[in-house]
Amino acid sequence: MAKEKLLLLKNIREANYKGDLDSYRKTGGFTALEKVLSAMKPEEVVEAVKDSGLRGRGGAGFPTGVKWGFMPKGTGKPAYLVCNADEAEPGTFKDHLLINEDPFLFLEGMIMGCYAIACHHGYIYIRGESIKSAEHLQRAIDSLYKEGLLGKNIFNSGYDLEMTLHRGAGAYICGEETALLESLEGKRGQPRVKPPFPAVSGYNACPTTVNNVETLANLPFIINEGAEAFKALGTPNNSGTHLVSISGHINQPGVYEVEMGVTIRELIDDYAEGVRDGKKLKALIPGGASSNVLTADEIDIPYDFDSLMKAGTMMGSAALMVFDEDTDIVELAYRTIRFFNHESCGQCTPCREGTNWLKHMIRDFMDDNGNGPMLERVDRVAEGMIGTTLCPFGDAAGAPIRIFVAKYAADFRNHFAQ
Amino acid sequence: MPSFFLDEQQIEFSQGESVLRAALRHGRDIPHYCYHAGFSVVATCRMCLVEITDMGNGRPMPKLQASCSTPAAEGMKVLSLSDKVRTAQNQVNEYLLVNHPLDCSICDQAGECTLQDVAYSYGSGLSEMNYEKRVYGWRDVGTYIMLERNRCIHCSRCERFSREVEGTSDFGMFLRSHELTFDTFEDHRIMHKFQGNLVDICPVGAITEREFRFKKRVWKLKKTESVCPSCSTGCNITIDHHRNHVERLKPRENQAVNRWWMCDEGRLGYRKLNARESRHLEPQARVKGKLEPAGWEAVYEAMANKIEEISAEGDAVLGIADTHATNEEMYLLKKLLADCFGGARAYFPFRPGTEPQTDRFLYTLITTDKSPNTQGAQAIGLLGDTDDTRLNSALAKGPKLVILLGMPCAGDKQVREAVSRAELIVLIATEKSAWDDVADIILPGLIYAEKAGTFTNKHRRVQRIQPAIAAPEHCREQCRIFVELREAMGQPLPLANARAVFEEMGGSDGPFGGLTWAEVGTLGVPLNGEKTAPAGA
Ligand SMILES: Cc1cc2nc3c(=O)[nH]c(=O)nc-3n(C[C@H](O)[C@H](O)[C@H](O)COP(=O)(O)O)c2cc1C
Ligand code: SF4
Ligand code: SF4
Ligand code: FES
Repeated sequence: MAKEKLLLLKNIREANYKGDLDSYRKTGGFTALEKVLSAMKPEEVVEAVKDSGLRGRGGAGFPTGVKWGFMPKGTGKPAYLVCNADEAEPGTFKDHLLINEDPFLFLEGMIMGCYAIACHHGYIYIRGESIKSAEHLQRAIDSLYKEGLLGKNIFNSGYDLEMTLHRGAGAYICGEETALLESLEGKRGQPRVKPPFPAVSGYNACPTTVNNVETLANLPFIINEGAEAFKALGTPNNSGTHLVSISGHINQPGVYEVEMGVTIRELIDDYAEGVRDGKKLKALIPGGASSNVLTADEIDIPYDFDSLMKAGTMMGSAALMVFDEDTDIVELAYRTIRFFNHESCGQCTPCREGTNWLKHMIRDFMDDNGNGPMLERVDRVAEGMIGTTLCPFGDAAGAPIRIFVAKYAADFRNHFAQ
Repeated sequence: MPSFFLDEQQIEFSQGESVLRAALRHGRDIPHYCYHAGFSVVATCRMCLVEITDMGNGRPMPKLQASCSTPAAEGMKVLSLSDKVRTAQNQVNEYLLVNHPLDCSICDQAGECTLQDVAYSYGSGLSEMNYEKRVYGWRDVGTYIMLERNRCIHCSRCERFSREVEGTSDFGMFLRSHELTFDTFEDHRIMHKFQGNLVDICPVGAITEREFRFKKRVWKLKKTESVCPSCSTGCNITIDHHRNHVERLKPRENQAVNRWWMCDEGRLGYRKLNARESRHLEPQARVKGKLEPAGWEAVYEAMANKIEEISAEGDAVLGIADTHATNEEMYLLKKLLADCFGGARAYFPFRPGTEPQTDRFLYTLITTDKSPNTQGAQAIGLLGDTDDTRLNSALAKGPKLVILLGMPCAGDKQVREAVSRAELIVLIATEKSAWDDVADIILPGLIYAEKAGTFTNKHRRVQRIQPAIAAPEHCREQCRIFVELREAMGQPLPLANARAVFEEMGGSDGPFGGLTWAEVGTLGVPLNGEKTAPAGA
């Protein structure tokens, strides 16, 4: 296996690392936090993160420091940082690795993030199904309180911070930040109209930033080693390392930490040790179910935000799903649309009706009941969902289906009625 | 004022206003379902998509935008008719029709259905969906309404109305994705008095009025702008009628009075408008103790003779009006007494009632004064107190002639007895009442749906009613009755109709001074020099 570049998984990759507060301390944990609270102004933290070029790992890849910069000051309202631990994008399982095995890394990052945006009450929103992780995380938070790393006057700095863990009720859409905030407020989890953006009116109509677990986990490194050290990793405009969840027909599925810009082929062959059973690669989904599929000959590209965007897909949550030559893309498309149909919140007309209609049609293909006009209709119905909905879910559900049809039309034709 | 361009047309907007709202204000139509100016913007139906070729900073928006949630910006260039927009509109509407039943032929909403209208104007007319449609079935959700969820297009207006405007949150969103449904809890029945508004805001026939179900195709209805007389708020309404039969009353937007709403009691007021059994349908005169039908001319002549015979004036004559009479009728009564009976006076039962003290604007609509013109009587200067002190002391003086306009104090036995001792009792009324036993002469008038005039509402706003349906053959407009009576008495007052009366009131000093009929228009005006606060401000 090619060597990982370890920033985030450094501790986890240690054989005997236990992930409790003591072990985290022993590896130099909380030195960054101490530095921030004793020697840095909040604006300086924001600047450092801006300079590092860190981009959000939740899916959209938005520069984190810039996002923090949107938080208005002097509104007289409390500011909130909400950590998005919903991790529901199919194929993604890297946030849970951090939560389960080294929770203090991202918690340290989160405390610094809260400090940076003058937040005195942070929330972590974890998906409802993750009961064990939630219990584990709660114990970690409790121990931070016990050690005085949360609560009043942290490190005698005069900075107070409360932290609350909130469990969702099991809905993919609650990973979308405004749906998450609705859910956090105790309402039905469905995306809000933007504007106003969360920075202006988020949790309880107060200025709010939502950050992904992995995003926050990068902060200790950036503070300890400096923004330049972070920027030196990866490709221009795509700084740092990132956690890639690799799954599917692959010899070594799992989470890999690599510098941005390692190619997809390297990830599959050198890290995850190739396609299972020596089979040939047929298709690859690079960034979770919402991203457009790549064919076997499209994978010699750097795995970073910009390169994937250029290739007509996206890195999303860095979930690589590998499909071998025996895969029936119709089945894959059906699984995908069934998921999106099940998870749509149902507010928007195109998403509510389109996902269901597509599911019916692709089901027909599965039953060898397809035909040419129906294939065109699949494309048309999927197209109508793109760019017409309230939240990006419509695109996420529609675009991959269009691309399945465009790139693997033969698979669909195999299911035409005889 | 800042402005933007909508398909080349310059549109002015106020700060923070959405593209859709500004466009609608300028009479432009961008199809929409979920947007309603009465509650929050959710931007979920996606029907109002527009193309923004310039955000006002020279840059275009890459995607189509929902015009209901896009704030207008100076210099913005918006296209609502481009091919891209047309395609999207067509597609959104197609998605809506995927699960919508094709039961327009038995749907009450057909003819005033936004989905139908938009489908005709913007849809392709084709459905390629060949799977079974979603089926839920009827639900009896409220005392006034029924819910047919198959027709629901998930605009969430009912949910927002219930939560934001009405406040009981009867309607909720259940389940998600294509199973999403708007409904009440199974064992919950909507009981409040504003259910009809749910019917109005529902863009399709999912929420229907029990009272109106399967009764009439709406395109047959004529709408006459009027004012609800069922309480002192005077919600602006249309009287919807066909072949001289009133089918329903609907609220009419007036931001200064009722916004978009009215109550169900007011709506049910339509029933009375078609009633005949309860009405006086021809003039009657008492002959040997018994009321007998008589012709108008004969009655006028008999009255004039009797009046001359009694030759009473001052305190020996009095008038009593109820507060269902229009301003003009009250004015004519007062004037008749003053001009022809040596300064005789007119009284009225002053029952101002109360308006609920609540932050929920909707609930302030229903007042306890169930008549439309108490403030009018007050402003015109009829004499009244809450316990009828002045009326009773006037009656104690034993008047010889009493003129009753409407059915004032009909339930008050003491007043009836005092009046019954007069030598001549003239009753100008539309409906039968206890006064019939007392009256010597009954002159049948017109109900509000049959005549013109004005009412003065609880906030002293003058609002106009207009004739919607024709009156029964032998009934006459009250204003006309006063004019004809004076004619018979040889003291003519040449005022042709309610409008002429109002213009005369407007030409004099006093609270109506300076107002004109035209100015009152369809939305009303505050009494002279007064300011009525806009509703809920
Ligand atoms: C449908 C949908 C699902 C999402 N799910 C997640 C998720 O599970 N976890 C996450 O961190 N971000 C998710 N996001 C992205 C969030 O909206 C948000 O951009 C992100 O949490 C911001 O954090 P970041 O800036 O650190 O990336 C989702 C977005 C959409 C549209
Ligand atoms: S696009 Fe889909 S998931 Fe997103 S708000 Fe609309 S209906 Fe909900
Ligand atoms: S019942 Fe009517 S108002 Fe309510 S969501 Fe459905 S269509 Fe909209
Ligand atoms: S009216 Fe704008 S999305 Fe419904």
